[in-house]
Amino acid sequence: MGKRRAAIAVLGAAVMAVSVAACGSGGGGSSDKASGPDAFKGKTLTVWVMSGSNPPGWTKDITAAFEKQYTGAKVDIKVQQWDGIQQKLTTALSESSPPDVFEVGNTQTPYYAATGGLKDLSGDKSSLGGDAWAPSMNASAVYQGKQYAAPWYFATRVVVYNKKIWANAGITSTPKTQDDLFKDLAAIKAKGTQDAFYLPGQDWYAFDGFLLDAGADLVKDNGGGKYTADLDSPQAANAINLYKKLNSYGTAPKDKDEATPQQSDVFAKGDVGAFLGLGWEAAGAIAKNPALKNEVGYFPMPGTSATTPAKVFIGGSNLAISQNSKNPQMAEDFLKLALSDQFEGELAKEGGVIPNKTSLDSNLAGNDYGTVSATAATNGGTTPLIPTWGNVENAPNPITTLFMTPVLQGQDPAAAAKKADAEVDNRLNQKQ
Amino acid sequence: MAAQTTGARTRPGRGRAPDAPPADHARRGGRGLGARSAPYLLILPACVATIALLGYPLVRNVIISFQDLNAFQLIQHTTQWTGFSNYTDQLSSSTFWHTVLRSVLFTLANVALIMAAGTAVGLLLNRLGKRMRLVLQLGLVLAWAMPVVAGTTVYQWLFDSQYGVVNWFLAKLDWHSMAGYNWFGHQFSTFSVITLMIVWQSVPFVALNLYAGLTTISAELFEAARMDGAGAWRTFGSVTFPILKPFFLGTTFLEVIWVFKAFTQVYALNAGGPEGSTETLPVYAFIEGVGNQHYGMGAAISTLTIVILLALMSYYFRIMLKQEDDL
Repeated sequence: MGKRRAAIAVLGAAVMAVSVAACGSGGGGSSDKASGPDAFKGKTLTVWVMSGSNPPGWTKDITAAFEKQYTGAKVDIKVQQWDGIQQKLTTALSESSPPDVFEVGNTQTPYYAATGGLKDLSGDKSSLGGDAWAPSMNASAVYQGKQYAAPWYFATRVVVYNKKIWANAGITSTPKTQDDLFKDLAAIKAKGTQDAFYLPGQDWYAFDGFLLDAGADLVKDNGGGKYTADLDSPQAANAINLYKKLNSYGTAPKDKDEATPQQSDVFAKGDVGAFLGLGWEAAGAIAKNPALKNEVGYFPMPGTSATTPAKVFIGGSNLAISQNSKNPQMAEDFLKLALSDQFEGELAKEGGVIPNKTSLDSNLAGNDYGTVSATAATNGGTTPLIPTWGNVENAPNPITTLFMTPVLQGQDPAAAAKKADAEVDNRLNQKQ
Repeated sequence: MAAQTTGARTRPGRGRAPDAPPADHARRGGRGLGARSAPYLLILPACVATIALLGYPLVRNVIISFQDLNAFQLIQHTTQWTGFSNYTDQLSSSTFWHTVLRSVLFTLANVALIMAAGTAVGLLLNRLGKRMRLVLQLGLVLAWAMPVVAGTTVYQWLFDSQYGVVNWFLAKLDWHSMAGYNWFGHQFSTFSVITLMIVWQSVPFVALNLYAGLTTISAELFEAARMDGAGAWRTFGSVTFPILKPFFLGTTFLEVIWVFKAFTQVYALNAGGPEGSTETLPVYAFIEGVGNQHYGMGAAISTLTIVILLALMSYYFRIMLKQEDDL
């Protein structure tokens, strides 16, 4: 009998301990006071960054700087893939110890802000350098007037080309208009390069750029925060036909996106003329095939007129702290470090991505991709900053599977657009 | 990822509880209690495992199907009851009924092919000499043992439009229009690849079981039939099939269940594409529940899947129960 009572006592204690832990930690207070160097001894900060966002030099330097400033603290930076990240992030945020700091795409930030999984940073905006953030850059991180994340960086897609292949085809200068581009691609193809331009069928970010440039958008604003899908328009048909034409200059699959297989891996083989991509994709290709080091060039996707490049989709990432983080103070201090001029500048210099403060733009000067990307970014747009937009990006994405791929495979744009619009509307109106 | 049982196609459960030894007649005092509780203690681990790993998720799934559980509720840990609205939404949606029809037809086609091919291979096993039988059994077991996801990767490579062996081979046979054919671009061709994979992995089970069953039929019966002048088809129809009827019923029953809930092959080969035209019920439940993060809706769809499967199986249940009575 004594053993039984002891067992019950242990069980009871365990249950009580679990329920106390489950009651959760309250949110961290505002961090006007700086933490002492021993504040986080023995603690580990979990940071999630998305694939392509953390250049190796930046990663090493910020980890060393943080661990030097706070003795005994450790920073664990984990790289996540974009594919399926929404489901992974939702599950992680619902757990009792979610990642403390994580990167979330600008198109998905309102979705997570609406779930209450992000910590409200309104009180810390100034100490994070928020007074200098350009309002257009900060827009996706603000929800219902509160600051739920901090803008980290922006990146636009540019044409990354293989200088050797272009020179072989006798092309001396980069194209300034779309007609020039197609002339150049035809010349490259005539020279025997099978993949003059590698554009997979489901790169909807690239397609959004074409759409914006044609004067249309993925959705239209009906006022009062109500959006409906708008792919069923002649401008959208023009955009997808342009996409189709570009896709035909290579052998990229029509029903896969830019990560399946990774564009950078395909380009690394050295027999692709050009592709539409980001700085890290080019860097990845060079890392895989060092012979490409001095052969990679960049130019903005040309538009219809020679004076302005085409409009592009301005991708960006924000850094957020999870509401249930076990180390809120530590997370804030890390955020302060990451968003400091020193590390924002280093990120811009190494990654070629556009920093969150215009004052730091000078860091892009040495980075070929960065200078071109910044030019392109002056003329762009993004997806609507509403919580239900996150639903549209859930696999299978209707924009790619119901519109882009069917049209690329021969369907009529108007018919495919009707089906895609219906599904996008369905998702935009789902109750959260 | 959410820990929903996704109904992957599994091999027959080997974890059947061992038969409990007959309990001693209760003796007053002494070792009576120990001897009587021994059988229960022996099956306790299996029961606990079954309840924990199968029973609890099933109950939880049904409970979730009555809730509105989306990303918001999951992160906030709130419980929002919504009654039967998930069920009424699905039962009144034409997408759901199209998916049901698609699943039923898909199951029928697959099971017919599996039983036909499996029976043929089983009969072959019975006729072969020792060495060739061993070779065939080895081949069957290797196909059966292949992990499903690894198998789907191989199938994707085989049927790749640019570099796949199948297209290359067909083009070599002078069928040139197949040279760059995209197998995963159309509903019927995608289903063909999925069917081929599922049949390939299911035939070993049917074949080996049929062979085992055939060894129980004494050779004299076949001799007698042969002496009476029965050909191969007649022998099968009048000797093999009637004796092995329980086997055929049982195996068909199992195959219907496994194919109906087959998720991995359908999802891994093209994620229910193109344009959702190859979504079967389990894939639909996954895409709606986990993909779109509407866990309540996904749970309702999976519960409806079970109900529909039970309804389809009711005919078999009746036959099986009648069989038990006959025996």
